[in-house]
Amino acid sequence: MIEGELRVAPASLRAAVAERLQRGAALGAYATRSAVRYLFLEERGVRAVSAAVDPDEPIAAASQICPGLSWDEREMADEFGVAFDGLPDPRRFRPLDGLLPEPIVATGTGVTQVVVGPVHAGIIEPGRFTFSSGGETIAHLDFQIGYAYRALERSFAHADPLAIVSRVARICGACSASRSLAYAMALESICEARISEPAAFARQILAELERVYNHVFDLGVCASAAGWGFGHTAGLQLKERAQRICEQAGRHRFLFDAIVPGGVGDGVLEDRAGLRERVNGLAEAVDDYVGTLFDNSSLVSRWTKTGILDDDAALALAVVGPAHRGSGGVVDVRDAAPYGAYREHPVAVACEEGGDALARCRVKAAELRESFRIIRSALDQLGGSPLARVPIVAPEHGDAVAVVEGPRGAETVALTLAASSIERVHFISASYRNWPAVAHATTGGIIPDAPLVNKSFNLCYACADR
Amino acid sequence: MMATFARSLGIRHLVCGSCNGCEHEMNALAGPDYDLTQDGWEIAASPRHADVITVTGPMTDAMRVPAQRTLEAVPAPKIVVAVGDCALGCGVFAGNSGSGDGAGVELGATIAVPGCPPAPAAIKDGLRRAAAALDERR
Repeated sequence: MIEGELRVAPASLRAAVAERLQRGAALGAYATRSAVRYLFLEERGVRAVSAAVDPDEPIAAASQICPGLSWDEREMADEFGVAFDGLPDPRRFRPLDGLLPEPIVATGTGVTQVVVGPVHAGIIEPGRFTFSSGGETIAHLDFQIGYAYRALERSFAHADPLAIVSRVARICGACSASRSLAYAMALESICEARISEPAAFARQILAELERVYNHVFDLGVCASAAGWGFGHTAGLQLKERAQRICEQAGRHRFLFDAIVPGGVGDGVLEDRAGLRERVNGLAEAVDDYVGTLFDNSSLVSRWTKTGILDDDAALALAVVGPAHRGSGGVVDVRDAAPYGAYREHPVAVACEEGGDALARCRVKAAELRESFRIIRSALDQLGGSPLARVPIVAPEHGDAVAVVEGPRGAETVALTLAASSIERVHFISASYRNWPAVAHATTGGIIPDAPLVNKSFNLCYACADR
Repeated sequence: MMATFARSLGIRHLVCGSCNGCEHEMNALAGPDYDLTQDGWEIAASPRHADVITVTGPMTDAMRVPAQRTLEAVPAPKIVVAVGDCALGCGVFAGNSGSGDGAGVELGATIAVPGCPPAPAAIKDGLRRAAAALDERR
C-alpha cells in the first residue's frame, strides 16, 4: 500500500527526495511510460515522490545526493528513455548487443587493473568486478551486472497477474519466498483480498525458513572465505538440513510456489508435528554452530575490521537488511512497517555498530535465533487450522507497492494493473540495493580480502538483473 | 593408469542467466551430504583443467560470447551437461524474448539433468553419466 504520493515538477525531484530521506529510507525508484516514482519506507508505511516524464524537461537526478539510487536512475534512462539532469554516472546500465559499458577505472603510476568475471572460478553467478589496484590496496572497484538480464519485467507486461506467479517465484532462487510474498501482498492489496489468519502464520513460517537457510549459508561461506574449511562444511550441512525442512514444509527445497496470491500453495505445512520436531533439532544445531564460529578467535579476528561500511556510507548508499543493521541501521521491514502475522507478533531487531564482516555475521547469528523463535510461535498459533486460499479476482485498474523483509533486506514489488492485466511490475531486490555497498566496502582493502567482503554481504545477481 | 583416473572429473560451471537455484544445488555437492570428492571430482577453477562443463540458465545476450569462449578453452575430450529446465530450454522462461533457447541447447549439451532446480543427487547422477560418456570416447 502507498500511504501517500507527492507529485513534483521534474526539476524539483532531487530536492523532494532529499526531504523524504530526512524521514525514512529509500527503497528505490522506477519508471512507467509517463512518470518516475521514488519509494521510501517511513514510519507509517511506503510513501512515494513522483514526477512526470517529459523529454523537454529532464528530471533532477537524485543519485547526486543519494548515490545508492544510481543504478535505478540508469535503468530508468535505458528502459524508459527518461532524461536526467546531472546523473553522476551517465553510462548505460543494461547490456547493449550483449556488451556492458566500459568499467570505470582508477589510473595513476603503479595502478593496475584486475578484471574478475563474468565467468568465476567457483560456482557463482555472473558479474564483472574491475579492481584498480595500486600496490596491494584497491583504489577503486567497479562492479557491473547485466549478465543475468532476462528482460523479465518487460515480459510480464500485459499478462494476467495470476499467470506469472510461478515465474515471479523463479526470478531469483535464494529469495524466492520473500519475492512471492511481496508480489502476493501487492496483488491482494489491489484486489482488496484478505487472507486467512492461519495462512498468514504459514507465510511467516515459510519466510523465516528462507531466512534460516540463507543465513546459515552466509555464515558458512564467510568461514570459507576466511580459510576455515570446517566452518564452511558445517554451515553447508546445516543449510542442507534447513532446505530439507523447506521441502517438508513448503514442498520445495527453495520454497518455489509455496506462497501464492490468496494464501499458500497446495500441500504446504501438512506435517506440523514433524516440522516442529525438525525445527527444534535444527535450532539447537545452529546454536551450537554459531557458538563454534564465534569461539574461534582466528576466524573472529579475520572478520574484524574487514570490509567496513560506515554508517554514513550505508545511508548514502540506501543499504538495506542485515548489511544496514551491521552499520548502525535499525530498519527491519518486519518491525518498521509490519505486515501479515508480524503485525500482532513483533520481531526483535538485531543491530550492530561495527560495519565490518563481523558485525554483519553477528546480525545474522542473532536473526537466526529470532527466526526459530518466530517459527515456533507461529506453529503454536497455527495449531491444526486448515490453510484455505481466498479467491483473487483482479479489478479493472489498481496500483500497489508491497515490501517485506527478505534474508538480505527489503524486497519491494510495485504493481500496476490496467484492463485487469499487468501494465507495469517492478521488483527492487535487497541485492540490487546493496551491491554498490559491496564495492564501497571492498575499496581501500586488498584484493585477497575481496571474497570475504563479498561473502559477508552474499548478494544475488539474478534478482538484481531480472 | 588412464582407466584408473578416467572417471575423475574436473568440473567447470557456467551460469547463463540462471536464477541461482541450480547454483545452490551445485554448491551443495561441495558439502558433506553430497561430497563430490568421494567420486574423485573437483570444481575446476580454470576451463583448462576441466573435462565437464555444467551449464545453467536460459542463456542471456551478455553471457553468450563469454560462455562460448569458456567452452572453447576446455581441452578435448569434453562434455557439456545441461543442469536444470532452463538450460534444457523447457523452464518457466522458455520463449521469453529476453533470453535464449537454453544454455545447454545453445552450447551442445549431451547430458540432461532436468528439474527446477534438480536435486543435488540428480546432478551427481548426471555427472556420473558424463564420466561414463567420456570414458567411452577415450
